[in-house]
Amino acid sequence: MLAILLAVALAAPILAPGDPLAIKGDPLLPPWQTMAHPLGTDRLGRDVLSALIHGARTTLLVATAAAAAALFIGITVGTIAGFLGGWVDEALMRVAEAFQTVPAFLLTLALISVTGPRVPTIVLGIAIGAWMQPARITRAEILSLRERDFVAAARVIGMRPLEIAFREVLPNALTPVVSLAAVIVAAAVLIEAALSFLGFGDPNRFTWGSMIAEGRTVLRRAPFLSIIPGIGLVLTVLAVHLTGQGVAKALRTRRHAA
Amino acid sequence: MAGRRPLALMRRRLIGVVPVFALVVLGAFALLESAPGDAVDAYLAGIGGGDAAQMAALRAEWGLDQGPLPRFLAYISALARLDLGWSTAFGRPVLDVVLARLPNTLLLMGLATGLALSLGSLLGIICGARPGSLQDRTLSLAAIALYAMPGFWLGLVLIVAFSVERRWLPSGGIETVASGLTGLDRAADIGRHLVLPVLSLGLVYMALYLRLMRDGMAELWAQDFVRAARARGMHGARLVLRHVARNALLPVVTMLGLQSAAMLGGSVVIESVFAIPGLGRLASEAVARRDTPLLLGVMLLSAMVVMLVNLLVDLAYAMLDPRVGSGTGG
Amino acid sequence: MTDLRDGPMRAPLPRRRLLAGAAALPFLPRPALAQAKRGGRLTVAADSEPPNLNPAIIASNGVFFVASKVIEPLAEADYRAKDGLAPRLATAWEGAADGRSLTFTLRQGVTWHDAKPFSSADVAFSALEVWKKHGNLGRAVFRELEAVETPDAHTAIFRFAVPTPAQLIRNALPALTAVVPKHLYEGTDIMRNPANQKLVGTGPFRFAEWRPGEYTRLVRNPTYWDQARPFLNEIVYRVLPDRAAAANALEAEEIQLAAFSAVPLADLDRIAKVPGMKVYSNGYEGLTYQLVVEINHRRKELSDVRVRRAIAHAIDRDFVVRAIFRGFAATSQGPVPKNDRVFHATDVAGYGFNPQRANALLDEAGYPRSEGGIRFRLRLLPAPFFNETRQFGDYLRQALAAVGIDATIVSNDTPAHLRAVYTDRAFDITVASPVYRGDPAISTTILFQSGLPAGVPFANQYGYENPEVDALIKQAAATIDDAERVRLYNAFQKQVTDDVALVNVAEFSFITVARDNVLNVSNNPRWAVSNWADTGFAV
Repeated sequence: MLAILLAVALAAPILAPGDPLAIKGDPLLPPWQTMAHPLGTDRLGRDVLSALIHGARTTLLVATAAAAAALFIGITVGTIAGFLGGWVDEALMRVAEAFQTVPAFLLTLALISVTGPRVPTIVLGIAIGAWMQPARITRAEILSLRERDFVAAARVIGMRPLEIAFREVLPNALTPVVSLAAVIVAAAVLIEAALSFLGFGDPNRFTWGSMIAEGRTVLRRAPFLSIIPGIGLVLTVLAVHLTGQGVAKALRTRRHAA
Repeated sequence: MAGRRPLALMRRRLIGVVPVFALVVLGAFALLESAPGDAVDAYLAGIGGGDAAQMAALRAEWGLDQGPLPRFLAYISALARLDLGWSTAFGRPVLDVVLARLPNTLLLMGLATGLALSLGSLLGIICGARPGSLQDRTLSLAAIALYAMPGFWLGLVLIVAFSVERRWLPSGGIETVASGLTGLDRAADIGRHLVLPVLSLGLVYMALYLRLMRDGMAELWAQDFVRAARARGMHGARLVLRHVARNALLPVVTMLGLQSAAMLGGSVVIESVFAIPGLGRLASEAVARRDTPLLLGVMLLSAMVVMLVNLLVDLAYAMLDPRVGSGTGG
Repeated sequence: MTDLRDGPMRAPLPRRRLLAGAAALPFLPRPALAQAKRGGRLTVAADSEPPNLNPAIIASNGVFFVASKVIEPLAEADYRAKDGLAPRLATAWEGAADGRSLTFTLRQGVTWHDAKPFSSADVAFSALEVWKKHGNLGRAVFRELEAVETPDAHTAIFRFAVPTPAQLIRNALPALTAVVPKHLYEGTDIMRNPANQKLVGTGPFRFAEWRPGEYTRLVRNPTYWDQARPFLNEIVYRVLPDRAAAANALEAEEIQLAAFSAVPLADLDRIAKVPGMKVYSNGYEGLTYQLVVEINHRRKELSDVRVRRAIAHAIDRDFVVRAIFRGFAATSQGPVPKNDRVFHATDVAGYGFNPQRANALLDEAGYPRSEGGIRFRLRLLPAPFFNETRQFGDYLRQALAAVGIDATIVSNDTPAHLRAVYTDRAFDITVASPVYRGDPAISTTILFQSGLPAGVPFANQYGYENPEVDALIKQAAATIDDAERVRLYNAFQKQVTDDVALVNVAEFSFITVARDNVLNVSNNPRWAVSNWADTGFAV
């Protein structure tokens, strides 16, 4: 399922060529009426099908980029904190705690209303609210690995501490963190939708979230406008979740085997 | 024995609070400081314009003519005297504004958490009792589907279904306007207003607890003490509830702490959809109107709520699982 | 949350549009008044909660929506009365021929809500100490007000330092002359007076309570000077922050009225068919908003008038009115709306929808299409004030793409938008929604006049400079003769439209949706912001 979604997203320019924001027909055409707009048109007469396809692209792009950024920040912070320990660890964990104490969505919202809603800032905003858990888990893993033999061996051959941390310890600590990725991707899709709902979506792109948010004012008159992307959203999150579960399971069995 | 450990835990928590609060204040202040436009810009947009002299006078009155550093220091020194400052967006003290909204948010969060936890755990137990069965698969999938639904959309659909099509429940607000109700009648009125928002917020988070409970139980089945109990001839509901479910509750309680902040964030959207005057909506209003003291007030208060929840979770954890020492740190 | 419904003024003639079978007919001679009963609570949708509700300080529709029921102006806009004005606290007004004074005869037997008597001293105090010193728009209009004489308790004579067009002051009466009680304000810090939140006035309703985030409640004033009024016992303004909320609450009968297009235009066709619901498209003639493309003339490409004309030709105004405003608007070509029959100039240059012409103009200006068909790129900042300004931003991006201009939408929240456009001037083009306030002198010429300091919002921060236009503005402001003022403002309109200083696209106002048992809705040109003394439920 996820593979199909990815394929659609990647092939968006081929499946639905041209600017998806272009005004192609009469506004608010219902679906299944004309061949030109199989899923109907929105308030400005933009084609819902091509919006849906291009929306998949942006939605997945934002979500995966946000998850990647969150993991990157989290893993870096977690590794440094876990490996160096001492006051660095203390300070970084306090920062993480401060971030965890403030509702992440509020933080994201504040950041985006300050920087303006563009795809990069939305990605950053979501990542800022999601890096703490990967950081904690990485740190915990690193702590349990820090005193192992191969680390001591690396010390003996004169590797610098951070080099050891990132080259020797981190790869061994990565598995449980990566299984978090699916959760973050799924959450990011939903956060983006909530941001669009509050008017903080990137106006230059379609996302499924912004389509649902746009469609909600005509929920009664043209329910398809929010239901169609809504189904897309549910399927995506579901697909990501199930894939994540599968990956986690596979990783677990591999680790048990090792 | 139970008496001393919680005290130590509380003390450690309270000491840890200070630097975290300092970071929250500093971060929120810096964030709004770097925002383009200030409270006067926001105010002028609301009133439809004014001239340069008026704008300058307002900036002076609200202290915005000074640099960020003096204003930050002034804020901190006022905070030390427990003065949260003056809200420019509402024209009254920040403390009044946030305290008026806190109960609504706590009520919404508490009830939604209760719903997610109880229903989620219950369904989780049902799923976990027979992992891999048809009921497990269907329930799990349904819960994830709910989790994948944007909360605001679920809320709007519920409103259309239960407030507009059938007028069973009110479509928004926290209670009937100036109803004059008191005591139990008023509580019932508030309850009616909260049904739909609690459903929209709670159902979304239910999946988390369902999963945790289910997975926890699925793993426990394989453990020795469960096998032993089975061997002793314990069966069915008794075994599930007495041994398996009880042990699987631990990660669920941990999740409760972790989710309290997320739930507070989720309430921003739900409070907007259902027109509930709560902290979440207040925070987004504070940002939109560049009301720095108000945003700081909301952040501090919600940080306090989250910390309190976590403290309670720690205490609950200590009670649920006597094996846990003091290793919960951070 | 923020709204930009600012101080409107009289429009000379009502503009109306009928929504099949649903709209009221304001122009037909009504039976004196529909039969409303006494009593009842009217709950209405509100989307903003101004912290300062004093209409004498803040002339904005968000404030008036609530405050106009509590605090009264000297006169209110009216469909039929002379000069389009119905008396309120003033019963008559007479300007001197030299333009230096204006005499108001005040209503007798009026008391404040705290039982103190109302007198000319209150008017004199409000004019000199509040409107002139603190009024966000009053400061400009009453700048030359020197003194207010009060020969007796029911006469107030305004004396101006320079000749002031009586037409201008008359147009200002409904929005800029709210009278506040001297005995509560004298000797206090007026901006911080608690009465700015707990209003005390002479109006048909008294202020009861404000629960931030929830509602504001007004109750009947039993000692109103018009003893037969008001009909309603209570008005409750329920805060509904979400765009979809008002329609749902109306259908669920939790509220009975939603003004200011709180029900999205796109949902109107449907809701008009719901039994028991009535849609009014009139009652806002005094609050005309203009959909405008602001242009930064400092940008090299945009400093060329051919490029600006090309932009004007690229916009399909009919489509905008049809698709974005669902027909509840009119196309526009100049800075004075059509419904102002006095000042509107009919012979300004028109820029019809003509992409070929636009392309030709751009080629001629020396900006050929490069690879990808793009001539140049622009930053487009749609104002976040209304759904329609945002949606027009989406449309404009597409319309410009069709003629080879690649516009990137930069979306900001309200304070950031104000800062970017009117202080930092960091934009190329915007979508704006200025208000026409019944007289070009009040808030329209400021959009074209050069030499303003950065930071003044809703004004010419565009780098547009034309000495001829500046001269016309200056001359018209000092002219007392009505006909001569009109002539000068016509010349002004012609010049700025010729220059394409801004691109005017459409003129719009709002829609009210109410349950059909609410009577006497939209029966004056500023209905939503008038006193609702005659509004009530059907028997």
